[in-house]
Amino acid sequence: MLKEVKTVGWDKTIDILLLLFLVSFPLMTSLFRVEMMSKCIIYIVFALSLDILWGKAGLMNLGQAMFFGLGGYVLALSYATRDGVPAFMSGFGVTEVPWFMQILHNTPVAVLLGMLIPGLVAGLLGYFIFTSKVKGVFFNIITLSLASLIELFFTNQQKYTGGANGISGLPPLTIGEEPLSVLEHYYVMLAVGLLVYLFCRWLTNSRFGMILRSVRENESRLQFLGFNPAAFKLSIFVISGMIAGLAGMMYIPIGSFVSPTNIGVGFSTAVLVWLAVGGRGNLTGAMIGAFLVTWLESLLSEHFENVWLLILGAAMLAVVMFFPKGLVGTLLDWQYCRRVDRQLGDVSCDDGLGLMDGELATAKGKV
Amino acid sequence: MELLISQSINGLSVSAMLFITALGLVIIFGLMDVVNMAHGEFIMIGAYVTYFVTTVFHAPFVVSMLMAFLATALLGALIELTLIRRLYGKVAETLLATFALSIILQQLVRMAFGPEDKFVGMPLEGRFNVGGIVIPHYNLFLIFVAVAILAVTLALFYKTPYGMQLRAVTKNRSMAQCLGVNTARIDTLTFACGSGLAGLAGALIAPVKSVMPSMGSYYIVDGFLTVVLGGFASIAGTAASSVVISESVTVMAGYMSEITAKVLVFLVIIVLIRFKPEGLFTTEKR
Repeated sequence: MLKEVKTVGWDKTIDILLLLFLVSFPLMTSLFRVEMMSKCIIYIVFALSLDILWGKAGLMNLGQAMFFGLGGYVLALSYATRDGVPAFMSGFGVTEVPWFMQILHNTPVAVLLGMLIPGLVAGLLGYFIFTSKVKGVFFNIITLSLASLIELFFTNQQKYTGGANGISGLPPLTIGEEPLSVLEHYYVMLAVGLLVYLFCRWLTNSRFGMILRSVRENESRLQFLGFNPAAFKLSIFVISGMIAGLAGMMYIPIGSFVSPTNIGVGFSTAVLVWLAVGGRGNLTGAMIGAFLVTWLESLLSEHFENVWLLILGAAMLAVVMFFPKGLVGTLLDWQYCRRVDRQLGDVSCDDGLGLMDGELATAKGKV
Repeated sequence: MELLISQSINGLSVSAMLFITALGLVIIFGLMDVVNMAHGEFIMIGAYVTYFVTTVFHAPFVVSMLMAFLATALLGALIELTLIRRLYGKVAETLLATFALSIILQQLVRMAFGPEDKFVGMPLEGRFNVGGIVIPHYNLFLIFVAVAILAVTLALFYKTPYGMQLRAVTKNRSMAQCLGVNTARIDTLTFACGSGLAGLAGALIAPVKSVMPSMGSYYIVDGFLTVVLGGFASIAGTAASSVVISESVTVMAGYMSEITAKVLVFLVIIVLIRFKPEGLFTTEKR
């Protein structure tokens, strides 16, 4: 009889190391870098929102930034219209805040709507796509088109969204009377990020997460077992949209502005790249990808702005061609194969075992 | 009323442009199940080729159309041979790879020729004036070219040995292989053909719109919408849906902003697809 292969992978270790690093990061460096890292944490949350959708359920959303942007715009409009009509509106002859923005005056309501509106958009879109018979790339094409149209729409509606410049000069978070300092912001973001991570971990390890995985692997077999894949796809799409909306709202007090670049195709592409580089399907890959790519981006684009996009494209191409499972996925597979090798002796382990990605290594604990 | 008429005539030339943009996408998707995210960048490269041929070397516009087709077709063949070929059957991977390719191509063009807009002179200056409605000659030329391309493509598909082989591969790849069809060669040719059409679209767009590195992303979305509405693998469906989309957007744009019109049309398409998943103009497969 074969013994059970040890199932604790390096992904858990990496997660804990990343958390320790992030907690201690402000002790090691300047406030400027701390602010950069706060953005990085927001991007990590954003990457997690796509990973539970694309990595777990196999739904590759090419327009994930629309949810991020919607969340961001809701909170930004709430801040901007709080003290009467903002400059970008009065410039177009708007004399009072339109009725649909007055509900945003109450910040808790705005925060709630910042998650509900992306969720609602995801729900409607998902309803029409998933309950239809269309298959395959349709989902990708529709989400891409929608992200691009929303970007154009928000640029176009200058009266209400500030057009291409977006809404800027937004205030930092305030608890009580005093606005939070950079350091306090950082730890608030880290706490929210940790909660989102734990939620995603719990969600994907639950029964619901298992069924999502089978949606990805074999949808028709799931139907034979009496489940309705559309309902599961719809739920995860809504949840993913809401988390992305949350990430968008977290961005507001740190970035202090929101513009159509936060809602469109470019930013949606960016999050795809993070996941492709880090590896999808296990939350660690998404986090490492988001962390590495955005950190490198802010370091490199300070000096070589032009070359950066070129490097990004080339890196993405290289990962797709040579490490289709991403950095973390490849690492986990290698670790798993080594463990199996050690138990089986000379039988070597390769893709013939049907390993899809690092996550399966843990799922198939027994050989 | 006059606005309505002039907008619907305008809409025809917009449909012509949209059809040429989307045709390459449909051909590539229909044959190889590859969604080419770099299609917009092929359009952009076609437009740049036109800019150089007409504005820098002062050659006639027809030459630039030909050059744009050839240049992008060659590039397409090269990309198929080196990249796409290794990724057949992996939808997510091809999407990502062509996505990456589009970033690279866009950035290379931006670094080589600068981010600023380039302008290509109008090859046909004249215009008709029928009862207060102005129709530029170039718009008629666009419609003519679109119809010609439709005719040539249909003839290529249904009257030539290449077309017969291509249809065989689309229907049943392994059976076609067994019967001695060189499927790899068909793939390369088709990808080149689809890319060439994108380049040609770029050449035709160049005189009407400004030429810049990021122009492709704008056209690819319209192309995708057309493909979704027309059915994923039907040339006639693409023609019909490009007319429907462009006409409705252009006519509505007479009364509201173009973007709002586009968003509305998009929403209608999403709802329609729920009830007619094969695309509006495809007959249901058995």
